[in-house]
Amino acid sequence: MEGVAIIGAGQTKYGDYPNKGVKELFAEAYLEMLQSIDQGLEPQQIQAAYIGCLSSGSGFQLGQLAPLLMGHVGLPNVNAVRIENACASGGYALYNAACAVASGKYDLVIAAGVEKMRDVSSSKGRYWLGVSGDTEYERLAGSTFAGIYALMAARYMYDYGMKREHLSMVAVKNHRNAVANPKAQFRKEITMEQALKGVPVAHPFNVWDCSPTTDGAAVVLLCNAKLAKDFTDKPVYLRGFGAASDYLAIHDRNSITSLAATRKAAAEAYKQAGVGPKDINFAEVHDCFTIAEIMAYGDLGFCEEGRGHILLEEGYTRPDGKLPVNASGGLKAKGHPIGATGCGMAVEIFKQLRDEAQEPSRQIKNARFALSHNVGGSGGTAAVFVYQRGDE
Amino acid sequence: MGAHISIPMYQRAVAQRYRLVGQKCTKCGKINFPPKAVCKYCQAGNEFENVSLSGKGKIYSKTVIAGGGAPPEFAEEAKCKGSYPVAIVELDEGPRIIAQLVNPPEEGYSIGMPVEAVFRKIYEEEGVIRYGFKFRMAAQSV
Repeated sequence: MEGVAIIGAGQTKYGDYPNKGVKELFAEAYLEMLQSIDQGLEPQQIQAAYIGCLSSGSGFQLGQLAPLLMGHVGLPNVNAVRIENACASGGYALYNAACAVASGKYDLVIAAGVEKMRDVSSSKGRYWLGVSGDTEYERLAGSTFAGIYALMAARYMYDYGMKREHLSMVAVKNHRNAVANPKAQFRKEITMEQALKGVPVAHPFNVWDCSPTTDGAAVVLLCNAKLAKDFTDKPVYLRGFGAASDYLAIHDRNSITSLAATRKAAAEAYKQAGVGPKDINFAEVHDCFTIAEIMAYGDLGFCEEGRGHILLEEGYTRPDGKLPVNASGGLKAKGHPIGATGCGMAVEIFKQLRDEAQEPSRQIKNARFALSHNVGGSGGTAAVFVYQRGDE
Repeated sequence: MGAHISIPMYQRAVAQRYRLVGQKCTKCGKINFPPKAVCKYCQAGNEFENVSLSGKGKIYSKTVIAGGGAPPEFAEEAKCKGSYPVAIVELDEGPRIIAQLVNPPEEGYSIGMPVEAVFRKIYEEEGVIRYGFKFRMAAQSV
């Protein structure tokens, strides 16, 4: 298997873009990615593009989104394909791009994601946001994803003694982290009091426990590791990549306080990278709802199952803690443009591992290994990546 | 906006929605609900006998969906009631299923409490009322 490196990365600021559609958002991220390649690159060298997107631009383009986007940036003839696994679409685009380079088939491949969510009416938005789960039963119980994650949170509280306040600690931490991130959607702190008292969504969640709707795009360029130093002295190596699925419906799973898909994907990524959870210096994890970050701590091996809330309470995952998690602000505050999210995590890690986090206050120092974790829906799919800095 | 679940799609699952019909795997004897093509327990058996489930079980987890968390086809219900309770129920025969709770006791209820299935209106879409199962606390009278 060939080694895989990231040599360029770019993304739009996440947020609300009334004047930009998927094409414009994608182009902005793509051009920023090109500019980030230290020695430059002739774009025609790019051979393939895997582009994550759930709704294909709020549904206006049902099929063949990827060639539409690549044609928009002057590369109409690369092998372009859309990848869809709900909120993990970006992660699966990265996974498939990494496999394409690792196989030796291609040397230069785009992994990207884009989502246009803010054009959609709130009614249509809620229609869309539940139809990547088990639509025949979960949805007929009157539940969207917020309700499904709320059921996980309630059981986690019951089994492990987690309190409501622990959920809010995730929201407060991630909002604080987003303040210094110029790419984040919500760059404002919230207090614990605010986080506990938002508008109810699905008990125990209020609006502060939920990730927002977001427009945005993210693009990374993967390269055969042997060629990476032709393009930059500071590549970031993708040492391990894992992906796994689970039953789509929450009622079909053995455990609802852990995501089996995450566990299997993480085991695969760690094994390939030859490292373990203790080697990871910082991580970007899938906090679509506050409970998701708490469950991820256990599923990624940062603590034992059922102790995620304790890790949080101890400050272990704060920027000044032993293992900063979601220093970007996470899905919660950086934003969650569904198909872009998994690639946006890779953009953040690329910048951090090259000491280019823009605002000095948010630069994570002396990091060698990082991890990203992207989940589809309530855990029907998950992809996990281990990165290593390349300038040592 | 098209229907979330079309009438023909709904009709194909009437045995499950009206009568809680599960499948007993002829290989391992365990009961699948909702139906699968291959048994989820032994992951090998693909022949089943239909069995009607008792509808009795226990609350495995619970939430209360507020207006902001309700799908649009349940928006009217959320608006009317303010919110509605949803639970995962572990049925006595083994499978878990997700459904609404009806008439939740004012004094509250918790995980582990016994419930039983009732036949209720689920919602209305495409001008047709859709019926199916919900759950109520087991001791509660009609």
